[in-house]
Amino acid sequence: MAIECLVLGAGQEVGKSCVVVTINDKKIMFDCGMHMGYSDNRRYPDFSLISKSGDFNNSLTCIVVTHFHLDHIGALPYFTEVCGYNGPIYMTYPTKALAPLMLEDNRKVVDRRGEEEQFSSEQILECMKKVTAVDLKQTVQVDKDLQIRAYYAGHVLGAAMFYARVGDAAIVYTGDYNMTPDRHLGAAQIDRLQLDLVITESTYATTYRDSKYAREREFLKTVHKCVAGGGKVLIPTFALGRAQELCMLLDDYWEQMNLKVPIYFSAGLTLQANMYYKMLINWTSQKVKHTYATRNAFDFKHVCSFDRSLINAPGPCVLFATPGMISGGFSLEVFKQWAPYESNLITLPGYCVAGTIGHKLMSAKTPVRINIDKDTQIDVRCQIHQLSFSPHTDAKGILDLVKFLSPKNVILVHGEKPKIAKLKEKVQSELGIQCFDPANNETVSIPFTTHYEKVGASDALLRSTLSPNLKFLRKCSEQGSDFSDLDARTKPGLQVFDDRMAEGILMVQRNQKTKALHQDELMAMLGVESHEIKFANCCPVDIANSDTRNAFLSQPTVDKSFWLHLLFEKLSSKFPETSIQDCGEHLQIESFYVSVCTKEMCPHRTASLQCMPETVYFCCTWTIADEKLAWEIISVIKNLLLKEE
Amino acid sequence: MEEQRLAEIHQAFSQNHNLPNKILNLALSLITSPFSSYSTLSSLLDTLTICLQNPASDHTNHHRVLSLVSSLSHHHPHFRHQIITIVRAFIYLPSTPSSSLHYALSVLLSANTKLNFPPGSTETTDPLADESLFLSLCFGQSVAARCILLRNVSKFCVRPSVLLPVLLGFTRDPYPKIREVALDGLVELSNCIMVEDQSLIESCYFRAVELLLDCDDPVRRSAVRTVSEWGRLLVAFNQDQSKKECSDAVFIQLCSMVRDMDMKIRVVAFDALGKIRMVSEDILLQTLSKRTLPKIKEDRYYGQFTAKLPKISGAAFAFVHGLEDEFHEVRRSACHSLCMLTAFSTEFARQAVNIVMDMLNDDSVVVRLQALETVRYMAISDHLMVEETILHRFLGTLLDRNDSIRSAARNTLQSMKLQNLAMFRLGLNSLMKNLEFYPQDEADLFFILFKLGRTHGKFVGSIIRDVFHELEPSFDGKLGFDNARTVALLVLGISASVSFERQICTVPPQIFSYAVTELGRISRALSDVVNQNSLLAYLSHCSRFTVVSASEFFKGEEPALQLEQSDFLLCQKSNESSEAYLTSPLLDYLANLHDRVTSCVKIVLRKISDIWRLIELGCMGEVIQTLRNWKEEFSKLTNYSPQTVGILAFTSKYIHVIKLLGKVWSHILPSGNLRYHGMGVLEVLLGKIDERLQEMWYRFTGLSREEELHLLEIMLLSCVLRISYLETCNFDASLKKICTIISRVENLCKEGAIELSNFVIDLQKLLSDIGNSSYGVFENVHLLRKSLKCFSPRQIVLSGEIKHLEAELNVHDNDFQNPLPFVSGLPVGIPFEITLYNLTPEKRLWLTMSVDGNSTQFVFLDLHEFGGCDEIMKFTFVAPFYGTPRVKYFSLKVRIAMECLSEGVRLFNYCEGPKRELIFLCKENEVHLSTPIK
Repeated sequence: MAIECLVLGAGQEVGKSCVVVTINDKKIMFDCGMHMGYSDNRRYPDFSLISKSGDFNNSLTCIVVTHFHLDHIGALPYFTEVCGYNGPIYMTYPTKALAPLMLEDNRKVVDRRGEEEQFSSEQILECMKKVTAVDLKQTVQVDKDLQIRAYYAGHVLGAAMFYARVGDAAIVYTGDYNMTPDRHLGAAQIDRLQLDLVITESTYATTYRDSKYAREREFLKTVHKCVAGGGKVLIPTFALGRAQELCMLLDDYWEQMNLKVPIYFSAGLTLQANMYYKMLINWTSQKVKHTYATRNAFDFKHVCSFDRSLINAPGPCVLFATPGMISGGFSLEVFKQWAPYESNLITLPGYCVAGTIGHKLMSAKTPVRINIDKDTQIDVRCQIHQLSFSPHTDAKGILDLVKFLSPKNVILVHGEKPKIAKLKEKVQSELGIQCFDPANNETVSIPFTTHYEKVGASDALLRSTLSPNLKFLRKCSEQGSDFSDLDARTKPGLQVFDDRMAEGILMVQRNQKTKALHQDELMAMLGVESHEIKFANCCPVDIANSDTRNAFLSQPTVDKSFWLHLLFEKLSSKFPETSIQDCGEHLQIESFYVSVCTKEMCPHRTASLQCMPETVYFCCTWTIADEKLAWEIISVIKNLLLKEE
Repeated sequence: MEEQRLAEIHQAFSQNHNLPNKILNLALSLITSPFSSYSTLSSLLDTLTICLQNPASDHTNHHRVLSLVSSLSHHHPHFRHQIITIVRAFIYLPSTPSSSLHYALSVLLSANTKLNFPPGSTETTDPLADESLFLSLCFGQSVAARCILLRNVSKFCVRPSVLLPVLLGFTRDPYPKIREVALDGLVELSNCIMVEDQSLIESCYFRAVELLLDCDDPVRRSAVRTVSEWGRLLVAFNQDQSKKECSDAVFIQLCSMVRDMDMKIRVVAFDALGKIRMVSEDILLQTLSKRTLPKIKEDRYYGQFTAKLPKISGAAFAFVHGLEDEFHEVRRSACHSLCMLTAFSTEFARQAVNIVMDMLNDDSVVVRLQALETVRYMAISDHLMVEETILHRFLGTLLDRNDSIRSAARNTLQSMKLQNLAMFRLGLNSLMKNLEFYPQDEADLFFILFKLGRTHGKFVGSIIRDVFHELEPSFDGKLGFDNARTVALLVLGISASVSFERQICTVPPQIFSYAVTELGRISRALSDVVNQNSLLAYLSHCSRFTVVSASEFFKGEEPALQLEQSDFLLCQKSNESSEAYLTSPLLDYLANLHDRVTSCVKIVLRKISDIWRLIELGCMGEVIQTLRNWKEEFSKLTNYSPQTVGILAFTSKYIHVIKLLGKVWSHILPSGNLRYHGMGVLEVLLGKIDERLQEMWYRFTGLSREEELHLLEIMLLSCVLRISYLETCNFDASLKKICTIISRVENLCKEGAIELSNFVIDLQKLLSDIGNSSYGVFENVHLLRKSLKCFSPRQIVLSGEIKHLEAELNVHDNDFQNPLPFVSGLPVGIPFEITLYNLTPEKRLWLTMSVDGNSTQFVFLDLHEFGGCDEIMKFTFVAPFYGTPRVKYFSLKVRIAMECLSEGVRLFNYCEGPKRELIFLCKENEVHLSTPIK
């Protein structure tokens, strides 16, 4: 058995996240995104790989969408409405609320560009009807075997990591996440789980970000400097996420510095988004929740909505405009107007997709001439500031999360190929975890060798597990042992064990339920008796020539206990450390029994001597555990009457 | 009515095994009713007992009955003994199902803690003293019972040697709750016992390290605490280099937990980091940087201290993560431990200050306060390099909306050392802005300005010169002094002349006269430092001299004394220049110098309780500073007034004791102690304290009852400290000593009708507890330690009659070059010039002479012989010294000692020497002797 991971998108690239994971015949699709850089069929994942016949309803168990960004949800209406998937879809409440806005917005942009429409507004709504909303840490039983659970991921409002479990195989798909909190969202939060696989994003696989305070300070300083010089600041952002964070930052700063320069929010979408934030306050950071009692942190004091006529109004201002990366729309329009002036400032998001104007600006040095399309060229003279704010975690964060979860395997997706490769190296060398970085349409199969079976435990086993059974092992410190021997150095001298869990015995019988038993029960269960192997030897001692014989032979009724007693004394002196029990009829040392043999023909007698009056026979029995001891004793017995010189 | 109900209950119990709710309520009503008679209740208890003993009743019944028993014990304490016996019997009963055990145990525990066993009770009456019961229940089947037992480990008298392995074992329990309480037990245990077995410490530590990866959050949390505490023991156990390595390893191990997903774990982890007392600098620096620092080799071996070797990269960025955390609890904790750790490395402090400055803009007030505290701490401990950029960011807090933040910010600013005029100006401007926006801060702000001016005297002059035009009355002759800014500048101006820097200060004298016009306002602000009259005297003095620089002759640091003293010095100066008009008011006070000294002492004594609060908070730096200043002041005052010698000597000794106590405190404080001292230091400190106290007790006469009481209390404190931190093994003997002192305290209080202090009352209670119960030693020690918290120094007012018993010993014209002649082997007479102060002839004085410290010869000084019982007795005494060694040259160490007459215990048993303990009255003198050279 294995966990199979088919990467349909975001394999060694950023965009159209889509991973189909098969665990024990359950197929879960995580995310269903579209690629923003393409407008042909490459923009959607190649769904045909899931099912050649196109029967997605039977081949997929469910779809899980982590958050509302288009590269994670963009292809969903296409998949449900066009490809005809009708099965269950899960996402968090905020995602369900905000996704239609994003999809609709994108549909309009595509529409405006005059491209072929893939799905209509109605289809978006239709698609959203099929979605089941889930809450954080709510365990959803998708079907009899499959459980999923959402964990807070930071990143954007409503973003979640998903835990999925089939039987004993469990995985976590992170989606996009952030390990440090920002102004409005918290940090990712997950339990320590027993996982076979973690599929994590790795957008910033090689970036190590500095303290966020430094970044904030730098951003504020730049903006302040610009508006103080009478310039206009353009902040192209996406409607949700960075816009709110930066706006909170600026709003606080304005308050603190008592600035009067207006801050504008461009179109309706952003203001509407703020409304959603206000409603979904529970999904924001601790700080926002905390201040909520007194003031909603999204009621910005210094922010007003923008009017197109204000573009060329005199005086400084700060403007948030969509979309980010200046790929078109309103931000492009303002960009054209403001870019040629040196006093103005444009802040770029931390990451711009290749092909957008943002991407061109990122690598350029002003002044520069930029081709917007075939006909338009713009001389960019304004200052350009690249934001290092990002809702994605950096390499340290990824490693921290993986280390915390300590899964058996890691798959890296959602990142650029060379960077992913470096991170993969690091995960394997630093954390010692098997790591994969599949390309699109590749399948990673994670062997899953453990065989799981339901086992009933017997009462005796359960009872024994109730009482502790502690064992302490003191390890002798090996002095002067090899220094490179890590194990010896790292293990403490005294170790403690509680053996009750290890004491069970697994019994597998054909046509019967597998059972875990207590070891004492085994015999009865198998219907066998326990056999013990015993050794025996009837050892002759010749008393014919000894002094003792002379002393005692005259008394014919020499008591056999006399011989035993003699032996006892001898043994006591020979083995001062072992305890010897004198039981009258016999002596006992551990499992070794010895008694004086009075039988005429003892079967254990080796020497075929006849029973002579001058010989005393000692009949010995012992188990194999004490064999060494036994032979030592026997040698004592043989020399019982020899004088020691 | 009552009987009727009782009968009903009896009937129900006898008939029905399954008790209906109605009957239970009925029984409960009887128990809770204050009118129920004793016989009713006792009969009810009997019924309940029978029900408990009935082997047929099941655990639901047991639960109900036991809850009734519990409420009975709660409402009627006189039944507790009986109840304990019953419940105990129930636990021992073989028929008791294991599922009922934990109910019984909880009843037992709650009844037992509220109970004081009467004297004479044997151990067997206390069920918690039964070790075998504890063990058998622990290893029994009931998980709930095990949980209760382990959680209340400290209440049971189990030998630590047994308890430790049991707890360690249960960290393996499959139930997370048990693992958690077992770890908590280990933490508790680590504070009470001395473990001598390194392998045992290691196994506890490593087991906790393993559990850092537990799946259960509370277990991980307890594991972090355990790693911290047992790591501490492990570090203490190691020597030198390995100690350092070990401490580093513990640090890194804890760092690995600061990225845990559970908020509480992060808080605990940072708290634990703050407690670490030794960390390498490069590791500290790594906690501020994400990339592995070039200095650090990843494969560097951090000792053998963890199951999975911690890598230093685990520590990377730890503090920044903590300070960026979403939860203010974590940020505060991180900021605090950062504060603690800055003490170890200047470089770390330099790098950390940047990020701490960011914390000043935090949303949470608690975090901001902690950040300010951190900055202040760094400034005080001289680890803060104030740069202009940093100052800019810091000064913003002066305009914070929260007044406690503003106040903390001002305090922090005051403790900073501003390096140049520009910075000082920056700070000043921000303070002015603060005053402008928040006029309510005026008084505090003036005070800070005054202090700031004193520490930065050289900048004040130039500032005042720049703003002088603002202060001058405008042309129309109106003095515009009513605005706060002007007054603030005036305060700054007058502060400079008392600055620490003894430069000629160039503040124009007009400033002082202008300041007089705002005397009320200023003196209100400075009321802690100086009273209105002295301020006026000072201002009027300064304003008269055009070129005088007060700072020329102002020294010292403690404001209260300094100003008062400065007045005094002022008049001296004036005397010389015979300016009678100035001195006349001050002459009066010269005459009253005696009063002056006593008033100084009074102030100091009054402040001691404040100081004590500081000690309790662990701010030893400030305390020592202040105490030292006071002492210096005293040393100056002594010269002027012989009659106050006694008071001053007493006070300075007292201050010394307080200082020593402070050091002890900083040593035992659970957090906040920065460096690790060995146990030896504590011993030395306590030894010194005892010595001082002895001296104070015997070398002063005329102590009032209050003062004696206070001394006794400090003795008690020292005993308790000793018993609870040093002599745990010698418990009973030390306890006896405490008892003796307490009885003396009681007597004194009775005589003087003085109330016992809380500390003594607490101790009394404790002692009777300890005497009556049979707690284990470490349990008792724990209790005693708790009692330390109650101690606070008594407010004492020294009466004027304190006399200091003192002696001076001198040999005329004897030094290294002029030795006395002697013939080796023959006795030699040494002519001593002895001066005795305040010694009455009844005192038994001895001259002690020793050659090399080991053989001492005592010579009795019979004071009657010398006659007179004046305050000062002066005479010459020729003392014979018999044991001259066979050398050409030797020196004798000579001292005068007094027998402690009231000390009952005879310690010495020389044939002809002193019988009791000796107190030395003078410093050791050396007498040089040499065989005459022919």
